[in-house]
Amino acid sequence: MEKTSEISDRLREHLKDSIVEMKNPRERRIFLRVKKEAFRETLEYVVNDLGFKHLSAITGVDLGTEIELLYHVVLNDAVVLTLGFSVPKEKSTTRTITDLVPSAVLYEREVHELLGVGFEGHPNLIPLVLPEGWPQDVYPLRKEWQLEQLRKIALEK
Amino acid sequence: MGYASTIKVPFGPQHPALKEPESFIFEVEGDIVVNVTARLGYVHRGVEKAFERRTYIQNLYLAERVCGICSHAHTTCYVQAIEELLNIDPPPRAKYIRTIIAELERLHSHSLWVGVAAHEAGFDTLFMYTWRDREEVMELLEAISGNRVHYAMNTIGGVRRDMPAETFPTVKKHMDSFEKRVNEYSHIMKTEQTFLKRTTGVGILKPEDAVSTCAVGPNLRASGIKEDVRADEPYAAYGETPFQVIVHGGGDVLCRALVRIAEMTESINIIRYALDHIPDGPVRIRAPVAVPAGEAVSRVEAPRGELIHYAKSNGTIKPERYKVRAPTLANIPSLAKTLIGAHLADVPLILAGIDPCFSCMDRMVFVDQNKDKQWVWNMEELKRHAKVERN
Repeated sequence: MEKTSEISDRLREHLKDSIVEMKNPRERRIFLRVKKEAFRETLEYVVNDLGFKHLSAITGVDLGTEIELLYHVVLNDAVVLTLGFSVPKEKSTTRTITDLVPSAVLYEREVHELLGVGFEGHPNLIPLVLPEGWPQDVYPLRKEWQLEQLRKIALEK
Repeated sequence: MGYASTIKVPFGPQHPALKEPESFIFEVEGDIVVNVTARLGYVHRGVEKAFERRTYIQNLYLAERVCGICSHAHTTCYVQAIEELLNIDPPPRAKYIRTIIAELERLHSHSLWVGVAAHEAGFDTLFMYTWRDREEVMELLEAISGNRVHYAMNTIGGVRRDMPAETFPTVKKHMDSFEKRVNEYSHIMKTEQTFLKRTTGVGILKPEDAVSTCAVGPNLRASGIKEDVRADEPYAAYGETPFQVIVHGGGDVLCRALVRIAEMTESINIIRYALDHIPDGPVRIRAPVAVPAGEAVSRVEAPRGELIHYAKSNGTIKPERYKVRAPTLANIPSLAKTLIGAHLADVPLILAGIDPCFSCMDRMVFVDQNKDKQWVWNMEELKRHAKVERN
C-alpha cells in the first residue's frame, strides 16, 4: 500500500485543482479523473516523471451525454493507474497520445470506431475491427444502439 | 538496395501461418519487408456489447468463450474483477485450484505453440511430438474438469468443482513424464541445427522497442524485460508459490522459444508445489447476484501475456460496461516493428513466433450406460448426423 499511497500523494500534490476524482480502492490500484484540459499534462507527468511506461489499454465508456476515456497505465512493479477524463458525446474529439505513447495507435482506433471519439493528430484513424462498409455514424458501444439494430446492420451490409 | 519501387504482398485473411483469419499487407523491396499494415476484426463478435446484456452469472460463460485456448485466464480475470466489486475473497483452496488449472493451461498452450513454431521452421517431426505430448495435458484437464477446452472451473466466489486428493498422484505422474518431454524439447531446440539456423537472429525485438511498443508476455521477456503479472501483482496462489520469471536477452524467435520452454518447466514445478501445499476447506463462497456500483481493473498473466479486464457496475445484476484487452492485440505493434526489415520467407515464422491465438477442434463422446460402452464421433460422422436430423 505504501507505493500506491506515495504515488497518490505525489499526484494530489502535483495536480491540485485539476483533479475531479481520485480513488484508491485497494493496493496497486488508483483511479484518477481529471479535467479535460489538464489531461495531456497529467499523462506526460505520469509517463515521464512517475515512470508509468506501459499502456495496457484505453477504455471508452458511454455516460449518456458524455464519453469517458480511461487510460490504463502500469508501473513496472504493478501499480495500475486508470487515468480518465470526459468529452462531450456530440462531435467528441481529443488530442492523440500516440506521439507520447506509440502503442496507443490500435487502442485509439478501437475507441474511435466503437464509440465515435476523434483523435486529432492520429497517424491513421481507420477502422480496426468493424467490417468494411460499416456505416460511419453507427458506433456499436454507444448505449443508444441495441444489439438487434446492430445485428440488422451487419446483415444488411 | 537499388530497387525502383516496392511491391505489395497480401497475406491472409486465410492465413498461411495461423489457423485464424487476419490480414496483413506487406510492402516489399526485393524480398525485404519495408512496411506492414494489419487488418483485424475478421472474428470480431461484439463480446463487450454482449457483456452489457447479460447477468454476471451468464457473463461467466461468455468470458470463458472469449478464447478457446486461454479460457481459464479470461474467467480468472473476470471473476477477480467481480469479486473485487463485491468485496468478497474466495477460499484459499479455490485459489490453489485456480493456479493449478492456469498452469496446466499454460503447459498445453505453450506446447501447442512449440509445435506451430517447429512447423513454421520446417521441423515437422518436433511438431508431431509436441502435439502428441500436449494430449497428455489435455486429457489431464478433461479428467479434472470434464472438459478439454472450456474447463468451466471458475465461478464468482471460488471454483465450481473440488479436486479430490485421489487425483493428485495421477497429476504428479503425468507431470513427471511431461517434464522428461520438455527437457527433450529444450535439448532439441538448443542443439538441432534445423531449428537453430531457422530461428537465430530472426525477428529481433530490441528491449527498448519492446518497452516502447508495450509488448507483453513471453515476447517481452524474450527481449530481456523481466515483467510477469504473476510475480509483479500476485493473484490466486502465486504469492505463496515460489517460481522464477524466465528472461532471455536475445529477442529473436529462438529466445521466444527458449523462454516458453523454460516457462513450461516452471509451470510443472508450480503445479507440484500447489499440489503439495493446497489447504483443505471449502472451494467456494456464496456471492450475491447484484453487484454494487463501482469499478475494477483486473489483470492476469495469460499464456500469451498480460490480460486486462475493466468492469464497471451500476448496482444491478448486469454490468454497465465491460472491457477486455487480450494479449495478442498488445503484441501487434511490436510485431509490426520486428517484421520491418525481415525477409519475406521469415514472415510466417515471425508471425507464429508471437503466439497469436488459435481455434480448437470439437469432438463429442457418447456413453451408452446400458452397455457400458463409449465411442467418439469424428467430424464426418457429426456432419452425417446433422444431415439426418435436418431431413
